[in-house]
Amino acid sequence: MEESVVTFNVFHHVAWGTTISVYFWLVGASAGSFVISSFGWVFGIKRYKPLALTASVTAIGMLLLVPILLTWDLGKPVRFIYLLLPGFWHATGPMSWGTVLICSYPMAMGVYTYFVIKNDIFWARATGIIAIVLALSTHWYTGVVMELNPGRFLNHTALAPLLFLTGAFISGIGLLVLILTMQNLVVAAEKRIDWKLLIEMAQYMMYGLVFDAFLLFLEFMQSIYGSMNVVLGHEAVLMGVFKFPYFWLEIVIGLIIPFLILVSPLKRNIYAVVAASFMVCIGVYGMRVWWVMGGQYLQSFY
Amino acid sequence: MEGARRSYGLQSPGTRGVAGAKRYGMVIDLRKCIGCMSCAVACKTEFGVPLGSWRTWVKVSDKGRFPNTRRVFMPRLCNHCDYPVCVRNCPTQATYKHKEGFVLQRYNRCIGCRTCMVACPYNARHLLPAKRTDNNLPHMVVDKCTFCVHRVKKGIVPSCVQACVGGARIFGDLNDPKSEVAVLASKERLTVLKPELGTSPSVSYIGGDWEIMDEPHSYTNRTEQLKEEFNDYKRNHEGDAFADIVEGEPTMPQIGEHAIGFLKTIPHKAADVLKAFRIFLFG
Ligand code: SF4
Ligand code: SF4
Repeated sequence: MEESVVTFNVFHHVAWGTTISVYFWLVGASAGSFVISSFGWVFGIKRYKPLALTASVTAIGMLLLVPILLTWDLGKPVRFIYLLLPGFWHATGPMSWGTVLICSYPMAMGVYTYFVIKNDIFWARATGIIAIVLALSTHWYTGVVMELNPGRFLNHTALAPLLFLTGAFISGIGLLVLILTMQNLVVAAEKRIDWKLLIEMAQYMMYGLVFDAFLLFLEFMQSIYGSMNVVLGHEAVLMGVFKFPYFWLEIVIGLIIPFLILVSPLKRNIYAVVAASFMVCIGVYGMRVWWVMGGQYLQSFY
Repeated sequence: MEGARRSYGLQSPGTRGVAGAKRYGMVIDLRKCIGCMSCAVACKTEFGVPLGSWRTWVKVSDKGRFPNTRRVFMPRLCNHCDYPVCVRNCPTQATYKHKEGFVLQRYNRCIGCRTCMVACPYNARHLLPAKRTDNNLPHMVVDKCTFCVHRVKKGIVPSCVQACVGGARIFGDLNDPKSEVAVLASKERLTVLKPELGTSPSVSYIGGDWEIMDEPHSYTNRTEQLKEEFNDYKRNHEGDAFADIVEGEPTMPQIGEHAIGFLKTIPHKAADVLKAFRIFLFG
């Protein structure tokens, strides 16, 4: 049978772009660094206490950029206020919940950081627990925002929040390793964080990478055995127009190479660990890019 | 028969078949569509729809090989879904499902976040550009087909239906058994777009061709010319933070360009912030 060809159609835009993917990356890295920050004060692993402050300041810093990006992305920035007004708030919209989380998470982090500075063990722990739940929820919601679009086949998967959270965990550690390295280079010798601690953190990142690879494999399997939309999503989008962010950035640079570094004897070499962290951060950005834009790409031709 | 009645957020529960209630819908008889695009033009003039955006349009595909060929048309518009994803996902209650079947947009609530555009499986929504020929018209808010609610409320059919040369678009109250649309809906074999998504469209088609209705097919079986036109459209757009990727060109530089494009929109956004503060402070 001769297949038909589409000879005329009108064109549509991909509505969410670079700003949204940068935002997802920032929220993720923030949540990830915050998890590390809580190791010492919330989970009681003492050797992590010295880096708690840097970690939570990094997390707050990343998160402060978010409202700026998001409100400017609206086109008329002042309208963001509607998201906060009770008469406008819409409970079935994932973004409504996101707004609540994005507003409350930095506040909780701020309070926690205050108690960390004050060295108040009890309150740092109590507020830390709240902040960590909010941190994870904030990033969980970014996955949900992408997931709850049944028409976007590449995004409509229950693994979305899990993939986002794993990405957050590894990029957060990666970013923190980079920032602590820079910090170590400028502060006095006695204030430096032990390099061994950074190397140990990178090992947690390695476990994160393994889990990420597992999730990606699940997604891959689903996509090649899936409906034509998803199969095409894999062939034409992920291995087609979005091959660079998906295959090269996320899988090769962000997953395979850092994993090989972190399981080889190089894992004890701080330079290699820093390089691996940098690659993981870039790789996770690649993932954010194809998740946001790739999922919408195919349908803009419909 | 309708399935279980579901209702999400601002969505009035389905009134299909409820005595005394109206339920507007459209049936498009593709056997009668001649592809003249009058409906698209009528809609553009009715609402001053900006260049590059559509509330309704007609997709065309060619089947077969000479001498056994056929040209197939498929008018498209918002499906006024009974379970609209756009309505569920909107964070500000800017879009809602009216109990008579319309899915409507409230410009005064819309913040232009484009969540609904991402959510709609049918590309039925567009963002109105910042600059319009008449700047008193809404801008930087999302817009969509309204089933011409302003006309229907006065007892006139939607603009596209009135303009339809072949009489292919039939609009009316599905709950009124005597209406043409209800008769067709009961007697003809109807299809809807993407039924698997559970949106339950109020627009259905008679004589649909699966290939033109299929999403993967629309991508893989485009003509070369259409591909080029599409790429030109993507390259040339001016707008706020759209993320179009052109096929056959490296992705990352394009994403870099989007970032630069985003930065370029800052002056007009800043002007907007200043204006808002001025109004807030000085009235
Ligand atoms: S077609 Fe799209 S815009 Fe129209 S009601 Fe359905 S989901 Fe909403
Ligand atoms: S763009 Fe407007 S209508 Fe669409 S989801 Fe955002 S606020 Fe709602």
